[in-house]
Amino acid sequence: MFQKILIANRGEIAVRIIRACRDLQIAPVAVFSEPDAGALHVRMAHEAYCIGPAASTESYLNIGAIIEAAQKAGADAIHPGYGFLAENAQFARAVGAAGLTFIGPTPAAMEVMGSKTSARRAAAAAGAPVVPGTTEGLKSFAEASELAAQFGYPIMLKAAAGGGGKGMRQVAGPGELHSAFAGAQSEAAAAFGDSEIYLEKIVEKPRHIEIQVFADTRGNYVHLGERECSIQRRHQKVIEECPSPIGDQSLRERMGEAAVKIARAVDYVGAGTVEFLFSDITRDFFFLEMNTRLQVEHPVTELVTGIDLVREQIAVAAGAKLSFKQEDIRWQGHAIECRVYAEDPDNNFFPSPGRITFLRVPSGPGIRDDGGVAEGDEVSIHYDPMISKLAAWGPTRAQAIDRIRRALDEYAVGGIKTTLPIFREIVRDEEFIAGRLDTGFISRFNERREDRTVDESRTDRDMAVIAASLAYARGQSKAKRSESSGEESKWKKAARDAGLHRAPSRRVFERR
Amino acid sequence: MKLDANIGDVQSAIDFRDEGERVFAEISGRSYQIEVRELAAGRYTLMCEGTVFECRVEGASESGKSVDVFVGNRQFSIAITDPKRLRSAATASAQADGAARIIAPMPGKVVRVLVEAGAQVAAGDGIVVVEAMKMQNEMKSPKAGMVSSLEVEQGATVNAGDVLAIIE
Repeated sequence: MFQKILIANRGEIAVRIIRACRDLQIAPVAVFSEPDAGALHVRMAHEAYCIGPAASTESYLNIGAIIEAAQKAGADAIHPGYGFLAENAQFARAVGAAGLTFIGPTPAAMEVMGSKTSARRAAAAAGAPVVPGTTEGLKSFAEASELAAQFGYPIMLKAAAGGGGKGMRQVAGPGELHSAFAGAQSEAAAAFGDSEIYLEKIVEKPRHIEIQVFADTRGNYVHLGERECSIQRRHQKVIEECPSPIGDQSLRERMGEAAVKIARAVDYVGAGTVEFLFSDITRDFFFLEMNTRLQVEHPVTELVTGIDLVREQIAVAAGAKLSFKQEDIRWQGHAIECRVYAEDPDNNFFPSPGRITFLRVPSGPGIRDDGGVAEGDEVSIHYDPMISKLAAWGPTRAQAIDRIRRALDEYAVGGIKTTLPIFREIVRDEEFIAGRLDTGFISRFNERREDRTVDESRTDRDMAVIAASLAYARGQSKAKRSESSGEESKWKKAARDAGLHRAPSRRVFERR
Repeated sequence: MKLDANIGDVQSAIDFRDEGERVFAEISGRSYQIEVRELAAGRYTLMCEGTVFECRVEGASESGKSVDVFVGNRQFSIAITDPKRLRSAATASAQADGAARIIAPMPGKVVRVLVEAGAQVAAGDGIVVVEAMKMQNEMKSPKAGMVSSLEVEQGATVNAGDVLAIIE
């Protein structure tokens, strides 16, 4: 087993991995950029090394600096977390070349799945259904035009090197294709350094359902069931749950089987996620992409299966056999997770950096919060503005909703804006409660929201005015008091200057 | 104390009496009697007829400045304006111009009124004596003129910012 693991990441995922290390009594080594010197993940580590200035390219993406830190610390292994270098084959190779273990899959598996076109080819070759479309990059606009007509509009243009909703364009008809093609290409080049784009037919009423897969180095492959991540804003997941409200056991088995086949096809090792689109209309599922790393929303799978995925990642990387077989896996109850971001929902979800002046994280039965900040910490503009992932588990979906609603109401953050208010509304929304989810959920929810009349409690407003007035009045009195106590001490000062003393000196008495 | 509160474009007047653990307030005709516990500066638990309101005021309160106020997890942006603060600020800058107001610098009690309404006073003459924190403070007229109004009488309790007399 490893003695020391360096975590090549920051924020909540670094904290998560540090906790798994502490569970296993492995010394966690943190890395930080200059502005992160006071961050929570650094404070929780055994050792920490500065790897560069604020810019990610010079710090958290700085392969040389990270490996140097690992060698200085004498770490045996590196855990990349998610994002940053987690799916970077060059980094995985460099870690291996430095004699350290990379906690994750092989560079080869990363490369196959890193390009969306090559991933589609691999999945198709493994016999899995893929979203209808091209499995090669589009060579020209003419080709795009021909294929789009062949597959049938509406279509989606996507970056082969892409992710996170960048380099994507939805095209309703041939008239839009030209500008969409140019736009997608340039965005892809800017975001990923690779302008290759491909084409997919739009799936009707799609639900985003992904399968957690796990493999060890001994050829054992399992799937840990599905997560539904259909509630997305601009292709970014905001609420995830396990299991899917569809609740179809046979669908889980078929999708799980397809996912395992795909993982086997690339000799996968460790934790991975195979993402699918499921059509609510045709009831078909299609391979979308595979993420060769631990996923942000892994807590919901952990809560429902009882398996600690990060602990298992470390064990498998150290050479252990998977501690469970497919038939051992049970899904109990239901878990829902909300991503609490430092963003302003009233200002188009613009990032809201700043100092967290107040933080009350909810607790109680069935509540799990994976946070990366503490009260007093600064949410920086340089990185992903995630505060925490709040998850609730319940024996049924209805009870999980009761708990997440209660926990969201308890959660209080001061000094910055967060996405908490919008989540409080979503968990009370009738479509959410009914589990009628697909990737169009958020835009329909926003429409419903506009029609809703806001329940304006006048008493709450009056109490707010009273509180503000008290703060003002008491603040003024306090200021006055400290001013006048300043005057009093001037008297004392004058007395001191005149050489007056309060009591006669001892010597006088003794002399008598 | 009388203040103006602005929430968005809604303005309301609040008149309240702060007795420490109890506060009496009237806002636009609605009266409240509230139990108050101050946990820390700006953090109050208000109890009104049994209902609990957990309140948090963020940022330093200054007249005219907007602060974020949380009541439970409902958020409001409120600007409190102290009408007396505005007038005294105006007076401070326009000295020779118009009436001079004698303003209580801190909460206290009027122990003596030294002049009568209508009296002629010279600059530096004592107008009222206010006792606060076991000290007596004689408030003097800043200019020569006539005491056009006396706002308080002996024994009255005053708050910081209250106008005691006007000299014209």
